[in-house]
Amino acid sequence: MPSLYRLHRAALYAAAFSIAAVSMASAEEIIIGAATAQTGVLAPYDQPALAGLRMALDELNAKGGLAGKYTVKLMIKDTRSDTAQTATVAQELIDAGAKIMITPCDADPSISAGQLTQPLGIPTLTLCGSAPVLTGAVGDVMFGTYPADNVQATAVADFAVSEGKKKVFLLTSPDTTYTANLPEYFGKVFEKKGGAIVGRGTFTMGQPDFSAEITNIKGLADKPDLIMTAAYEPDFPAFIQQLRGAGVTIPVYGADAIGTPTIKALGKLVDGVVYTAAGYAEPGSKLEAFNAAFTKYAGHAPESTYEVNGYEIGLILDQAVKTAGSDDPKAIRDAIANLKDFEGITGKITYAGTNRMPLRPVALMRYEGGEGKHVETLIPDASDVPAP
Amino acid sequence: MIAQQIINAVSLGGVYALLALGLAIVFSIVGLINFAHGELMTLSGYALLAALVFGLPFPLAVLVAVSCGALAAVAMERIAFRPMRGASVTSLLLTSFAVSSLLKVVFQNGISARPQAVAMPGWMTGAFSFGDFTIGVGPSISIVVSALALIALEVFLRRSVTGTAMRAAAEDFNVVRLMGIPASRIIATAFLLSGLLAGLAAMLWVAQRASVDPLMGFTPVLKAFIAAVVGGLGSLPGAVAGGFLLGIIEVLLQATLPAAIAPYRDAIVLSGVIAVLLLRPQGLIPAVRVQRS
Repeated sequence: MPSLYRLHRAALYAAAFSIAAVSMASAEEIIIGAATAQTGVLAPYDQPALAGLRMALDELNAKGGLAGKYTVKLMIKDTRSDTAQTATVAQELIDAGAKIMITPCDADPSISAGQLTQPLGIPTLTLCGSAPVLTGAVGDVMFGTYPADNVQATAVADFAVSEGKKKVFLLTSPDTTYTANLPEYFGKVFEKKGGAIVGRGTFTMGQPDFSAEITNIKGLADKPDLIMTAAYEPDFPAFIQQLRGAGVTIPVYGADAIGTPTIKALGKLVDGVVYTAAGYAEPGSKLEAFNAAFTKYAGHAPESTYEVNGYEIGLILDQAVKTAGSDDPKAIRDAIANLKDFEGITGKITYAGTNRMPLRPVALMRYEGGEGKHVETLIPDASDVPAP
Repeated sequence: MIAQQIINAVSLGGVYALLALGLAIVFSIVGLINFAHGELMTLSGYALLAALVFGLPFPLAVLVAVSCGALAAVAMERIAFRPMRGASVTSLLLTSFAVSSLLKVVFQNGISARPQAVAMPGWMTGAFSFGDFTIGVGPSISIVVSALALIALEVFLRRSVTGTAMRAAAEDFNVVRLMGIPASRIIATAFLLSGLLAGLAAMLWVAQRASVDPLMGFTPVLKAFIAAVVGGLGSLPGAVAGGFLLGIIEVLLQATLPAAIAPYRDAIVLSGVIAVLLLRPQGLIPAVRVQRS
């Protein structure tokens, strides 16, 4: 296959040059490789984000491509939510000539793909991987796009403190950076602002039974008034079902990964659960317009804010290629790294001065009666955000 | 606290016992570890979801879901395993993996890769108090259903002709056939029973997890396999003992390990399994006739 693509590109260049000889206007092609999960545990996150990106690229292509002159060819390969498989397909995409790489919604597979793109200087963007250690673990080509875990955790902690919460129980899982670190970032901010961590518990992802952990929570001498976790599907439904089943009514807060239709469909079970999103569609906002356009494009409404985040990746790439003035991967990388106050759909996005995890607003949401209700949108104070 | 954890342990052990029994019944007769057993659970879970979406009352939906599991098991035998009858153990094992992978992909692409929430009736998330401690309705149902299923299975195997034939087949299949009992009927019944058990286990599993997803069968089948091996592969009492042992160890470790060591829980459980097998290589309660394999 790779040789076929090269042939294809060679033919294209030849065509482009021959046209250029006649007129100076020339259309070029740029390949974006998407090593993303179509199947497995990450698929429910990667697929919506990728749908948003596709929509952006389709719209851009209709206007001539990135910066109006590089027609995008999006090549998608399934990583099966497997870290090793992600590296394999990333290599295939590189061989096929990808100049920009898109990686899954999780740090580990994104890092494995980044190991391959870093030496080649190919800018690499994770769809919604939010671990702040992600970019540092790879190097200067790796960019996050979603609000980082420590930023989200700070926003939730600020909110919990403002509500008067004093004592938190942290439920973590060492299985991923997200589930392991996000509640701990929360704990750091919460303690700094006068709260206390009264207990910690762990779970294994996919674990069937939380009863022992829940009995431990019930048995705590110092009763928490909040449980903070980054558990997501299918662990979060299992945890909250068994927690409420055991008669524990302590509020549970989480982060972006529980802002999904599945959790929403749990109805009364998740009443009062606070989570984060990349934005909130207020009437008349750009996000509301996006949601309408996406519904028209995909035939269904966006499931979460992963769609708009994917769409914004398309806009960021368009802006970066404009700034770079070429399709040179290194120039594109530099352009993304220097992006400042870029007007996205959800608000201003800034990379300049960060470690390539963007500064952008975080929306706080709360489930009530089977609906996600907006609480507030804020950009946490940078000095409050704990170091990764 | 301690009484509470014991209830947790028995509740989880009961589910593992049902799962391990489902594996053991089929293994005792045809010598196949059916790794697609977990997908029978998944299928029952989706059947429950579908029945609820179509507005069936909850008890009826559960009935439909469990029957779906049982019928799917029979269909699985008819389509995938009957053509392989007489094939080597390895071929059967690989066939079961193939069926399992195929069904997972069908669920992911045909339904959704995303877990689907299953709204359990409100009373199932309730709890009742006995003096000091509260017992959740969920774990109680779990314990009662497991106990009833185990008793019903025992009665069936002891009192009915087919049950007797199945016990005999587990000891010597050829003699049973010489007695004029059709092999296909015995095998189909074994799969039917294993499907029923998978369906029941799925209901308890889903009730605790509030969602079904395409990959949800993987963990339970793994646990059931461990329980069946510890108990003695092919031995039905062994499977039950193994299931309870595994459930109890898991809950006790989760309850007592300090947070720093807790992530190694599974490693500790599996080391325990190795220790049991070193002391009793045929399992806790070995099968009467140790399987060819």
